[in-house]
Amino acid sequence: MDIHGLARHTVALEHHALMPASLQKSPSTAPAPSLPRHTLARYALFGFALLALILGAIGIRTYLHSPTRGLPYHDAFARGKADEWRAFGGTWDVVKGAMRNDSDERGAKLITGSSHWRNYSIEADIMLLGDSGDAGLMIRSSWEEEGVNSYSGYYAGLRMLDDSLVLGRADHGWMETTHKINSAEPAKVRAFQWYHLKLLAYECQIAASATSAVDHTVTTTSIADKDCVDSGRVGLRSYSSGGVWKNVTIQDASRQDLADMLQSTPSHKTAAVQPAPADTFDDLGTFQSTAASQSLHLEDPANTVPIGNLRLYPFSNQASATVRGVVILVSPVLFIEDSTGGVSVSNFVGPPLKVGDEVEVVGKVHPGDFSSSLDPATVRVLWARAPRPAIAVTASQAATGAFDASFIELEGTLRNKAIGPDGLLVFDFDAGPQSFRALLRRGRGDALFQSLKPNSLIRLRGICVVDPAFTQNLTPFVLLLRSTDDIKILAGPPWWSTGHLVAIVIGLLALALVVNLLYGRIERWRLRAVLEERERLAHEMHDTLAQSFAGIGFQLEAIRNGITGDVDTTHQQLDLATNLVRHSHQEARRSIATLRPDSLDTKDLLSALNSAACRMVEGGSVQIVAVSTGDPRPIPLRIKDTLFRVGLEAIANAVRHANPTMIHITVQYRKNSVQLAVADDGIGFIQSTGMDGFGLRGIRKRAASISAALNLVSTPGQGTQLEISASLPPRATLVSWPQLIWKYLTEHRPHARNPH
Amino acid sequence: MTASSPTSERSKTSSFRTSLPFLSISGLGVYAVLLCTLMTLGCRARTAIIIAVIPRTAGTNLWEPAHGGAETAALNTGTKIYWNAPTREDDFEGQIALVHQVIARGYQGLVLAPDQTLALITPVRRALASGIPTVVMSSELPIPAGGNLFYILNNEDSAARIAAARVQPLIHHGGTIAVLGLDPDIAGIMVRARSFEQYMTQLDPSISLVKKMGSFNFLHEQQVAEETLKSAPNIQVIVALNWASARGAIAAIENSPELRGVKVVAFDPDGTPPFNLASLDCVIIQNTRGMGQKAIEEIDAVRRGQSVPAVLKLEPKLVTRENFNSPEVQQWISMDWRAIPWHWSTTH
Repeated sequence: MDIHGLARHTVALEHHALMPASLQKSPSTAPAPSLPRHTLARYALFGFALLALILGAIGIRTYLHSPTRGLPYHDAFARGKADEWRAFGGTWDVVKGAMRNDSDERGAKLITGSSHWRNYSIEADIMLLGDSGDAGLMIRSSWEEEGVNSYSGYYAGLRMLDDSLVLGRADHGWMETTHKINSAEPAKVRAFQWYHLKLLAYECQIAASATSAVDHTVTTTSIADKDCVDSGRVGLRSYSSGGVWKNVTIQDASRQDLADMLQSTPSHKTAAVQPAPADTFDDLGTFQSTAASQSLHLEDPANTVPIGNLRLYPFSNQASATVRGVVILVSPVLFIEDSTGGVSVSNFVGPPLKVGDEVEVVGKVHPGDFSSSLDPATVRVLWARAPRPAIAVTASQAATGAFDASFIELEGTLRNKAIGPDGLLVFDFDAGPQSFRALLRRGRGDALFQSLKPNSLIRLRGICVVDPAFTQNLTPFVLLLRSTDDIKILAGPPWWSTGHLVAIVIGLLALALVVNLLYGRIERWRLRAVLEERERLAHEMHDTLAQSFAGIGFQLEAIRNGITGDVDTTHQQLDLATNLVRHSHQEARRSIATLRPDSLDTKDLLSALNSAACRMVEGGSVQIVAVSTGDPRPIPLRIKDTLFRVGLEAIANAVRHANPTMIHITVQYRKNSVQLAVADDGIGFIQSTGMDGFGLRGIRKRAASISAALNLVSTPGQGTQLEISASLPPRATLVSWPQLIWKYLTEHRPHARNPH
Repeated sequence: MTASSPTSERSKTSSFRTSLPFLSISGLGVYAVLLCTLMTLGCRARTAIIIAVIPRTAGTNLWEPAHGGAETAALNTGTKIYWNAPTREDDFEGQIALVHQVIARGYQGLVLAPDQTLALITPVRRALASGIPTVVMSSELPIPAGGNLFYILNNEDSAARIAAARVQPLIHHGGTIAVLGLDPDIAGIMVRARSFEQYMTQLDPSISLVKKMGSFNFLHEQQVAEETLKSAPNIQVIVALNWASARGAIAAIENSPELRGVKVVAFDPDGTPPFNLASLDCVIIQNTRGMGQKAIEEIDAVRRGQSVPAVLKLEPKLVTRENFNSPEVQQWISMDWRAIPWHWSTTH
């Protein structure tokens, strides 16, 4: 076998070493070495982070599902706060430190709490506002919706119809048990009187108690529900009656709490489980019902005037008039409306009113341009009825004053919001060619106030007023809103705004940067893997191949020394074999040297090349000169590795083919590039096109992989010089980093699948 | 071969080592995708057919029997009921919102007693367009039956005939009848009114009718009744087409001793009829329990591919003080909607 054959054999061995272990036929493979420490640390960190994430998720879930999270709870109505409560029907507002529902809707609910609360109690002070119906507390509630009994859970309340404490369960239907109130009073459940109600749930036992604030008698009832609802939220609820709730307290309950509650009063006979009564009649045959019932004795309707006619009354002579209408606003001013218009009523004498009440008002008429007022006045409630629906108008129509003192609905785009004097929420709207303002008492409006974003499209209902006392002459009209339920967000602000566009651009840039950083990192991992594999091969070859050659050489020497007599031919053959072994050993050493990049991580390019070159010429007479010029700076690993490979190949070619006495290695650092030059004083060669020998093809490919410029000059008898120049990324400074980032994102990356 | 140097004890699995981060990341990604898929499948999984039942309102003697009938049929057919209604019978917007909710939630059937004849046309058409079999009960809509739309109605003609037969002996020749509670929002009431007028005219052409529009506010209806009685003192019978008008008329009569001879024939009681009061002659009740039950059975049959009649009319029943306490009548008006009794005990 000649030298090149031996070289090919060496390469084949290298390829064999590169084959996956499963394909290698050689049985002798080194055992898998352990992972390096830094890699183990990285994986351990990753594992701990994953474990921490899972444990954290479990912890958060456990906390959120805790049956006592948020307990004990006390309401913040005294501070005007009720953001945590959600309404299903009714007209709820915080008034004078208490939660008030002014609507006599059947089954209005206000809900708060956690669906995971299990064993707890809720208690509150309650006052009924209507003259029929009931009001009370809910416990273990879920699946709440607007509707009469549209929830799943338990309710206890005080009912005027039959003077009873009601306790029952709703499941989008209703069944109850009732217990007559213990009181010496003839009318045991009365409107405008405070009661203290407590409702407790422990496992499948539900207990309720009511205490009168007048005579302090306590009434208690309880049920055991075999298939009970086992957890849920709390709520305030009323049926065909308005109500007021204050001092709402919710706390964890134990079996002892239940026992204490049940032992506090002697047991009484309780009615059976039954549906709720609809209408009943007493022994006198007086017809009563769950809706309001009263002896009307109404005025002759012919004496009343349409509200719209009040504007025709004399301006100076303050005449009286009687009108009938439906209450559309109670606060800050009472407004009533009939089919001809609306009127404000000030300084009136009358019972507490709520929206929807049909009333008869007698008062002195103050005619206005667009609407009138009655001041002073006497108000009498005729009956409670459903609130009037709003008239849908445009802002332009409302701006004419035609709907002054009327309950209207319109849409507008929110321009501004602010908190005005006396805790009033002020919203400014644009609606086409018109602007208007809406005012809302703060009450439960904090959450809504925060959620409304400028440029949202909002639908509002409220009483349109043109009185300059409200408009300040800033807008043609102002809308007085009754509650947060009068505001509906139709569409949020347009997503495409300047801020969002800038955020998108920044986000995309950041994403691109991250992707490129990751790509670079991945490339670096891959390159490191390749370098480590090379190192492994080098050591493999060192441990096996090179030493085997040494062993062969020694054996051949021993044979030579053992041969006696005239055996010239044998000596010649042995000399040839010895030379072959020596040459192969040198080639193997050179190959090993080219495969050992271990110095690249810790040494600079010049030092690494110098070391490798010295190893290559070890034992010979070739002098290695290594020089660095310019301001040294870090070279990206991929560029460094490529330059190193090219340099090694050039040095190997010089050693192998040029018979040099000196090899000159120069690394020149420039501002944005680095140049490596390898020159020898050997025999040189005649350059011609298409020369692929001497590893030049590989050198050209490597240069192309990093977009480096390659220059090879050789003259027979005068040596050879190879120069390769590669661009370096500019140094990042405070001024240059945007340019750097842009360039980093847009520069062409050569498709470097194989760094070889 | 010499012993391997420590530096030669390098991993042969460097390619594996570099790919481990990728495996970890891609492994996490696979788990995340699997988890999301399972959650989505879980959310979408339905174990039972859900049929929405939306009456005119809830919690009354007129509509809770429909709830009971629907629950009974659901138990027998293995379906589930979603029951909800506006809190007022004139809140048709609330009812429209509920129908839209049914469509959005993808329920498998809709049973509707409409609060307004015209306003519910579009929501019902949208439900039909979504493929939801729909049964309109009690009072019809101006949409012809067919396809996935069925009607289970009160036989208003029979109800009017019963009322006319009941009124005739109460009134003398040439007398005056007040018909209160006309409400075009409920098509059935107008059919009832026309049929009653037709039958009364056939029975006695000399009888005159005084008609008034009605609402669901009984105090307002009481005022209407008082004004009507005052304006026409020779009224002998009031035919109240809805229960608010009936209650208002009864209250007006009971509050005025001079009117105690006037009788009230009423329809659709949603409370306990006060038969202890002489002014109430009778009530004519719809079989809403039967409607609820049959509606669920029809939808279940349609889903199974069986044919059902497009229009079904259930006969009303005349209830007087004599038969009010009979088991059949009590079952018709019972507000106990449970198909299965709850295991309760009152412990205190």
